[in-house]
Amino acid sequence: MQWTSMDMEKYLSAKEYIDTAIIPIIPFQLSHETTIGKSTSKRELVSIFATEIESELSGRTLLVPNYYYLEFGDKEEEVKRLNAWTKEIQSQPFKHVFVLTFDSIWKRYEKDLDANLLWLPGFQTEGVNPQEMMNIIRGQVSDVVELMRSYW
Amino acid sequence: MSEEKQQVSRRQFLNYSLMGVGGFMAAGLLVSPIRMAIDPVLKKTSSAGEFVNVGLAVEDITTTPQRVDWQIDQVDGWYESKPGRSAWVYKNEKGDIVALSPVCTHLGCVVSWEGSDKHQNEFFCPCHDGRYTKDGVNIPGTPPLAPLSVYEHKVENGMLFLGKEISRKGA
Repeated sequence: MQWTSMDMEKYLSAKEYIDTAIIPIIPFQLSHETTIGKSTSKRELVSIFATEIESELSGRTLLVPNYYYLEFGDKEEEVKRLNAWTKEIQSQPFKHVFVLTFDSIWKRYEKDLDANLLWLPGFQTEGVNPQEMMNIIRGQVSDVVELMRSYW
Repeated sequence: MSEEKQQVSRRQFLNYSLMGVGGFMAAGLLVSPIRMAIDPVLKKTSSAGEFVNVGLAVEDITTTPQRVDWQIDQVDGWYESKPGRSAWVYKNEKGDIVALSPVCTHLGCVVSWEGSDKHQNEFFCPCHDGRYTKDGVNIPGTPPLAPLSVYEHKVENGMLFLGKEISRKGA
């Protein structure tokens, strides 16, 4: 389910069935011009993956609105904020909270996060035809779904 | 003047011609609002119900359900989108093509064919372990309360076209 009025109505009436939340976290930066393409592709990939995972598992997962942070900012601060988000979600109660990212730096802060980190390696999106792209993504999404199921 | 020739008086004649002209004007004014009001009835089908080539040749359809994905053009007022659609397609024992919607009737997750090792020959919903038999009927004792929806289908030039999704709730 997504954080829209229609889905939230459904959520409130079926709260006991929805115990998993996904927070897509997306880096933003303008200062490192050479890697700006990489940063934007992370954003696109996270959005696509988040919606695909949500549509596969919409009856049990809530897709939380995107969380943005400065790519080269203070990660300790972000960890604190993310944990506050996690706390808010867990108190509903949600049993499983996942943080979805393509930014490998979070691997270093994984132990400080209260949520489960789902880090996926990014891949080249340019020059691949859309049909092939869809197949790659579908394959990866089903792997992530499998991984999330192992927590249930 | 004689009585027979005096059938329409000047007053009556003016009344009639005014009413006639006024009537035409009123009709002219009313046509467009009425046309607008009944417009949805005049449209043949909405875009969601049109048959779409899903890129699967009929000879490739087997008795094992396979997943097909396609996109439709959807216009909600000013908002245009291309939402994805999926179906599980197979041939049943009689050789008829069956196209089932993969959306679980419980809370809307996507079911998969033999998605659980424990339950062969069934559709399985990963979210709350809902199960359906091959024809899409929910298995009692699992969360879903209705069978999976079916898609209308037709075959043209050996390709499969899928159309409207028909709910089987209450069936």
